[in-house]
Parts: sequence; structure tokens; C-alpha cells
Amino acid sequence: MMGRRRFVTRMIPTTLWTGVFMRGLSRNAEAKTVEQTSFKLFTQNEAEVLAAWCNVIVSGAQQAGVAQFVDQSLSGDQASSLLLLRYLNANNMADFYRKGILGIDTESRSRFGFPFLQLTGSQRKEMIAAAVASKMQVWRDPDPNFFYFISRSDAVDVVYGTQAGFADLGIPYLAHIPPPKPW
Amino acid sequence: MTEISHEKVEVVIAGSGIAGSTMAAELGEAGFSVLVLEAGPERRLSDMISSQIWSRRLRWAGPEVQETGDLVGAANFAMGWGTGGAGLHWYANWYRLHPDDFHVRSQYGRSLDWPISYDDLRPWYDHAQAYFGVSGDDDPNAPPGAPYPMPAIPMSSQSTAIKRGFDAEGLTLTSNTLAVNSVPYDGRAGCILDGWCDAGCPIGALANPLVLQWPRAKKAGVELRHNAYVARIETDSAGSKATGVIYIDENGQENFQPADIVISACHTIWNARLLLLSSDDTHPNGLGNGSGTLGHYFTSHALTTIHGLFEQETEPHTGVSGANTLCLDGYDNKQPAKDAFGSRAWLVGQAAKPNDLLGTALAKPEVFGAALDDYLRKASSHYGNMTVLCEEDSIPENRITLDPSKRDRFGLPQAHVTNSLPRANVVRSEIARSEGLRIFKAAGTSEAWAGPRNPMHMIGGTIMGSDPSSSVTNSFGQLHEVENVFVAGASLFPTPGAVNPTSTLAALVFRVADYIRTNRSSLLP
Repeated sequence: MMGRRRFVTRMIPTTLWTGVFMRGLSRNAEAKTVEQTSFKLFTQNEAEVLAAWCNVIVSGAQQAGVAQFVDQSLSGDQASSLLLLRYLNANNMADFYRKGILGIDTESRSRFGFPFLQLTGSQRKEMIAAAVASKMQVWRDPDPNFFYFISRSDAVDVVYGTQAGFADLGIPYLAHIPPPKPW
Repeated sequence: MTEISHEKVEVVIAGSGIAGSTMAAELGEAGFSVLVLEAGPERRLSDMISSQIWSRRLRWAGPEVQETGDLVGAANFAMGWGTGGAGLHWYANWYRLHPDDFHVRSQYGRSLDWPISYDDLRPWYDHAQAYFGVSGDDDPNAPPGAPYPMPAIPMSSQSTAIKRGFDAEGLTLTSNTLAVNSVPYDGRAGCILDGWCDAGCPIGALANPLVLQWPRAKKAGVELRHNAYVARIETDSAGSKATGVIYIDENGQENFQPADIVISACHTIWNARLLLLSSDDTHPNGLGNGSGTLGHYFTSHALTTIHGLFEQETEPHTGVSGANTLCLDGYDNKQPAKDAFGSRAWLVGQAAKPNDLLGTALAKPEVFGAALDDYLRKASSHYGNMTVLCEEDSIPENRITLDPSKRDRFGLPQAHVTNSLPRANVVRSEIARSEGLRIFKAAGTSEAWAGPRNPMHMIGGTIMGSDPSSSVTNSFGQLHEVENVFVAGASLFPTPGAVNPTSTLAALVFRVADYIRTNRSSLLP
């Protein structure tokens, strides 16, 4: 596990981050088609925290259904999982996300006195920047830097990695076999 | 637990990937009765969905590999799960090891020697490239061999942009050699360069076991049994002959499959693990481990990717996932500077989609929010990349072991890989990184950056050798201690060179299959 943590930390140079502004609206037309559903594994609060966290990283991730995407994959067996995490730490993927979501709120309360969902936009960005820079104050497990890396990938998947996401970026999809659904 | 026993076969093979399926087809066509046991589920061409998200189902879903060291983390990404194994999502880069790669110990006093030379393998390389279907043009830096059966894939917009940098550095950028059809070949379609190789190629332009080996194997009567997780190789009471394998089926039931010949053709880590799991009173430290080298001399390639944004459009979503072009200039100089050691090869212009580990988004993992969106809109049409593979010395400290404290779902010890890059190889990798950044700057990028050093490919652990006291198998992958057990795959390589291993893996499979055919009467009772 230590090897993986170093691997990911090295992938995220801490000096390169610069602050940015969130976009308020998703450009992703597909996002509008995702309906709010009940979750199989996450509690409603866990799902909302994860979605809000991912939405700072990739604008539109919440509407595109990132929490449902992760929840759906965690509810099945590893073989059917569509998560990038399965490459890097497949030992207990549900535990990884649950602990990470708990870490978000623990850090948020320590820094700002409120849970993540009650933070302002700039406070949320400060939290993400701290994860990128490995500068969390109290959140340790799972490694916040690694959690950022994985949740960023999930958000990129649902916003940019689908046929609609490709179209939004102006990339021809060119499928041999089109996916039966985005995820 | 009640054990189910099956009718004996002449050959049982663990693993249905490129090594296992090629071996099965060869031996089946030679008249052997062959059974292949695959741990994962059945795969069909319709499973090869063009999506980085959906393609993750093709990756490893067996027991996790524990990893420690500074060059680890690629195991679950690299391995496959189901019919065809990693052969369903491989990149099809096709290179021969160079003559010096076979004699590193003799020539440089470090790493290891192979028990064979390039000349021993050359005819099998020639055979393999015709069998798989390889496209490529003549490269004066590549080892000698037969002409490739197909012309090279055309240079892409991405490679054209990057070539300026190679020209400025005085380096030669050539077309790549790929097991991808540039034109229709052997009844399979030509590539349409849509960049989905690693999600699987259902049209079969990229040679994969579902379109290449399995049709041949099935026609020859080879049986393929899925969800069959091989747990150990059984031997007779004297420990001198294998009697078959124990595997666990999808219901968790133990099965005994008797066989005259057992071939372990799993991915590198699992070949070593299977032999380690097969310890008994005669072989207390693992089958074939009388030398104490089983699991040792694990190697990888130290990979660094150079990324850049170009002024001109590069169409990065098109082409092949492997690489469009190649630079082997300087490969044979294994000592490019004081304290540096190892060959290196540049693989240039890999097709990149927005997501997944090798996508454009993760090329800049520190960027988020509006900056990420801005970057992706630029990268979608102006991104370029190239990857350098650097050699890792074979040292005994880098190894595959069993971890009794971590068990898989059947209660068997998990594999543990330890791999750290020796210092001289680190220096070599850093020289290559600087070279890559110079090339990209000379190519006129508006921005160029290097990713971290990561592992690519898993090699060694059941190394071949002439001396039974310092190797696991002979040059035919046959265990020194148990003559009817063979190993197939990159786990046999004593040294990794600095090129992708599948061409060499395939050449060895054909050589071993020929040996088994030739020695049929002595290997079968």
C-alpha cells in the first residue's frame, strides 16, 4: 500500500497547483438526463458529500451522476466494477470511499467548523487544493492526495469520458461498439 | 472438501492469454489433447466496448497483488481477466530484444545472461511476426530479421508534430512496429486508427486471442474451461513428475485435473505464485525452487511519459494506443554516462482519450475545476506524448513472494511483489527524461512536462538458465527439477531489455511448443 501511495503522490506535483474558479453550470448535456436515484451502498449524505467534492474538481460531475456511478460500481463484484480504483487498490473499495468521504467532513469541520456541504465555494476549493498539496490537517486515511486522484478520475469519467463528454470536447467518438449506456 | 476428478489430458495449460492460447493452438494442431484452464469468465468480441470506462471489466479481477518498492503499482492495470487475458487489452507494440540484451552479465558484469542468444531466437521471432501479423518498415536500429509482413501504419499528426524535436536532437524517428494490421491480413481487417486498442479490438485488426489463437485452438479440439482458478500443481510421491493440477471452480469446489504435461502460462506474477503454492515434502520451498531463485529477479521497465501541447492540431484521439512511431537510436549504448546503465527506447504518439490512466486528463492530475476544463479543450486537439522505456537490472532483491498474512477468497496466500529500481537505472531514466523534455521543447510545444517514473510490464521470477543451481527452468521453460512441467510467459526472461516483451514471449512460446512436439515420445508416458 505504501508503494501505491507514493506512486500517486508522485503523479501530483504539489507546486503546480493554482487556484481556479468553479463553473456554475455543466456544459454536459448528458448530465441533464441523469435522474436522482436511491443509493445501494452510500447513505444520502455520503453520496451528497462525494458529489459535491467531485463537482469542485470537475464542474458538472454532480449532475452527471458521479455519486451514482461510484455507488453502482461498489455495489457489484470487483469483476463488474467500472472504477479506475480497481487498478490501484482493489482490496476494499467500498471502505476506501466511505473513509474518504468521512475524511472530507472531518477535515472540513476541523478547518472551518462546518461539514463540507455547508462550506462556501472558496472554502471547498481550499479543501481540494490541500488534497492536491498533501496538506490536510487531520484527514490521514485514506491518503487525501490519493483520494483526490481517484475521485478526480471518477468525475472525469462521467463528465468527459462518455459519448456526450467527447462531443462536448469536440472529439469524434469513433466507436467500434458504442457503450450501451454512459456507465 | 470433496474433490472432483476429471479425465486425464495430455497437456493442461493454466492461463488463456497470449502465452497460453498460442501454446494451446500450437500443441492442439500438433495432435496433443489439450485443456486450458482460465481463472476468469468467458469473453466475446461483443465485450470489447469502445469506452475507457467499460473496458475496465477486461482487467484483472482476481486476488490483489501486494506491492512494495519504488517501481510498483501496475499489476492490476496490466493483467487481464477472462478469455484471452491481457491479450484483449494489450497495446500490440512488437519489438525484438537486441543481441546484447541476451548477454548483459557477460558484457557488463551486471544483471544476468540468457541461456540462449539472439540467433537462437531469431527464427522464432520471424515465425511469430508472420503468425501474429506485424506492420512496420525496416529500421536500421532494430536487430536483423525477416521483413515485416505488412507496411507500417502511416505517420500520425501527433508524430509529425513531435518529429521536429527528434530531428533537432539528431535522432531518427521511424515508423513503429505493431501487431496491428495496416492492411487486411490473414482474413482479418485493416486498422481504422480509431484509438480504442486498449478497450479491445473487436474487428481483429489488432491481433488478439479471440480472433487469432482461439479459433485455431478450438478447431484443433482444444478445450477451454472458464472460472477455473488453478491453485497448485500436484506431483507424484517421489516429487519427480507432475500428475496434474488442482483448480477451484466457480462454486468453490476443488477439482483435480490429471495431465501428462503441465504448462503454467499465467501472467508473470501468477507463474511464480503457482509454483510457490505447489510446495510439497519434496519441494518445500516451491516447485522448481531447488536453486532458491524462484520468485527472484523480477524486473519491469522504468517508464516516463513526456507530455506537451502543440500549436498545430495533433488529433490525439486517433491512431493506436501503443505508439505511432519509434526511436531506437542509441538503444545499444547501455552506458550513456558515468554511473548510468541500461538501454532505452522512445515510443512516440500514443492515442489518448480524455479519461483513464493514460488519458489526457490524468496527464495533468494537479489541475481541477475551470483550469481542467480549459486544459482539456486545448488538449483534445493539440496534445502530444511519448514514453521512454528504460531497462531495469535483474537483481535478486526484486522478487515475488507469498504473503501468508494476506489470503485470497479461497484462503491461499496472496502474491507480494517487491521492486525498486537500482541506482544506475535511476540515473539512466533521469537522462532519458531530460532528453525527452529537450525533444518536446525543440518540437515547438507551448508547454511540455514530464510525468512521474512508473513501472511498465512485469518480467522474471521464474527465470531460465543453463545452470540448475541459479535458475528455475532451462531454455525451453522446462523446470530443471520436474521435467513435465513447463512455464510460458515473460516470467522466463532473465533480463528485460528496454522494449515491450510480447514479441519475445511469443517467440519463446513457439520455441517451447516445438521442443514439446519434438520430444513428445519422452514427455508422454
